[in-house]
Amino acid sequence: MAGIVVENVTKSFGDTKVLRGVSLSVADGEFVSLVGPSGCGKTTLMRIIAGLETVTSGEVSISARQVTRLRAADRDVAMVFQNYALYPHLTVRQNMAVPLVMRRLTTAERLPFAGKVLPSARAKLAQIRTDVTHAAELLAIDGLMERKPAQLSGGQRQRVALGRAIVRKPSAFLMDEPLSNLDAALRVTTRTEIVALHRRVGASTVYVTHDQSEAMTMSDRIAVMMQGELLQVATPEEIYANPVDLRVARFIGSPAINQISANVTSSGVVEVQGQPVGLVSPARGPVVLTIRPEDLTLGSQGLAGTVEHVEFLGESVLLHARLGGGELVIARVAPSDRAHLGIGRPVALALRLDRAMLFATSNERLACAPTDDVAAAPVNREAVNG
Amino acid sequence: MADLALTSGTAMPREGVAARQTRGFGTILVAWMLMLPAIVTYVLMILLPLVVVLALAFTDYEFGAPGFRFIGLDNFAEMLGDRTFGASIRNTLVYSLFVVPLSIGIALLLAVLIEAGARGRAFFRAVFFLPVVSLTVAMATAWQYLLHPSIGPLNAVLRDLGLGTPNWLGASEWVLVSLGFIGVWENVGFNLVLFLAGLTAIPRDLYAAAEIDGVRSGWSKFWLVTWPMLGPTLLFVLIITMTRAIRVFDTVQTLTQGGPNNASEVLLRTIYQEAFHYFRFGYSAAVTLVFLAIVLALMLVQTRLIDRRVHYG
Repeated sequence: MAGIVVENVTKSFGDTKVLRGVSLSVADGEFVSLVGPSGCGKTTLMRIIAGLETVTSGEVSISARQVTRLRAADRDVAMVFQNYALYPHLTVRQNMAVPLVMRRLTTAERLPFAGKVLPSARAKLAQIRTDVTHAAELLAIDGLMERKPAQLSGGQRQRVALGRAIVRKPSAFLMDEPLSNLDAALRVTTRTEIVALHRRVGASTVYVTHDQSEAMTMSDRIAVMMQGELLQVATPEEIYANPVDLRVARFIGSPAINQISANVTSSGVVEVQGQPVGLVSPARGPVVLTIRPEDLTLGSQGLAGTVEHVEFLGESVLLHARLGGGELVIARVAPSDRAHLGIGRPVALALRLDRAMLFATSNERLACAPTDDVAAAPVNREAVNG
Repeated sequence: MADLALTSGTAMPREGVAARQTRGFGTILVAWMLMLPAIVTYVLMILLPLVVVLALAFTDYEFGAPGFRFIGLDNFAEMLGDRTFGASIRNTLVYSLFVVPLSIGIALLLAVLIEAGARGRAFFRAVFFLPVVSLTVAMATAWQYLLHPSIGPLNAVLRDLGLGTPNWLGASEWVLVSLGFIGVWENVGFNLVLFLAGLTAIPRDLYAAAEIDGVRSGWSKFWLVTWPMLGPTLLFVLIITMTRAIRVFDTVQTLTQGGPNNASEVLLRTIYQEAFHYFRFGYSAAVTLVFLAIVLALMLVQTRLIDRRVHYG
């Protein structure tokens, strides 16, 4: 069964096109991250799914129900806001009860003192109390129930916001950068907790973030968005290893993927600085060769460069080297290699050819393959190693 | 602090501490110098007159009299039997009870409507703020014409409708209502601007969260989000409007001079009359003290009772 389906949605604010025909399908119970730089339209897309924003064109359905023209209150979605959006005058318990009170009680039953007078209201309020307590226990905030939001830490407020979202068991969960107001350490633990919570609750989730590492660690699938378009929707592994667009490749991964300007000769040989690197491609002309830092190894042959900076990370070392063409590349090498990585020293960086990718200068992915052909093979550069 | 002093004591040589002390003295001196104009003004313009009023309230001083003597609480005793003072207290109370709730309620309603509207925000704000920036005395003349019993447009309309044509400013049963209405008209614009500022400060996300939580009607959203979030603004508006209502003077003085037969006599006018008409400075000072006591008491009650309930810290 389909969880959330977005079909061909466009959104314009005046003359500004924020979304240019976005289609996305989130399976039932799936966790999909919407990731992209700020201003790419990801929050707008989420607000459209929530019903807080109308579409210019296109359709949205949730749990196989057309909701495009339904207002947010009728869509059965829950949302966690970046700044939590808790009601400051209500206690934690009251905050979490709001969605249940609004949905289960009639207007008459919501009147003050109705809980004391109307038996129906009393029964419902008792049930709400049980449900709220249950959700609070799940999030380990049951000790904070009588506090006001101002008396809570950022992490606790975050949990209350999550609690308010899960308490009514919605068919879809929307989270708008819920971790961005937390400090770095808390962010890492909370993202694990959100994933665990998602497994227990099992509702389809759309998670908006600009932090690619959050998207990578939490999601079943990642949707990368730029300039109002979805560039690629795939599993974290696929997005990382096999991006279809140079902008995706650049956005995902830390440190960022290395980009080296290259040229494909008329015979299909990929050359960097006029030297073949061991790849062939059906494309022709100027291209961008990309390689992840961990796929560059120190060797006796490969791309020649000089060491510019060395970052020791513990389990690995990030080597920043300036290539002959002036480009800066980063290689992730073993700490044991650190000894002979003095600043200014020449190095040769070998590409793991099966991991190298080619992109057109207009960002599309191009085919390429390693070759054994001698004419395309990298030459041994004595100068570098001498 | 103790551990701070310990570490700095070991790290810093003695003369460093001494230098810091002189610098501290210099800073204090500069601070006092900078505050001096404000302090002088405050003492001369507020503190000193207040002390004089306080002292005068217990004397029988009359302007131009060669001397005065302390008469203890006699001025206050006189107030109890003073029919003009009694009327002015009662009228000020009625006027305030009329003006405060109405001007706050109408301003809040208008502010919510203007805020919800897609356009015309600046236009409506300007229109309703106009009475605040216009000269009350000049406006009072306009009101005098509008409310005039025989040539006024209001009564012309009432006449055409076949209704009664009261003497709005001249009949004792209508005069407070008329003045109260003008007071509401004066205060709504001011309160409206304050409420609009308060409304703008409410995070939009709270309304979005309410919508997601299943709050459908604007009415419910108002009570779940707007009303509690406006709490601090409301308290401020309440205090401001109350003080403005209690010290009503210029409309009364221009339009009715407290008449007819003391039916629109108010506290500030009584103070003014006693001091600058009858030159009874001592008695006037005593009434001023009562006025100050009422204002202070109201402030205290409001801040003590409500302040705790509108700031959710």
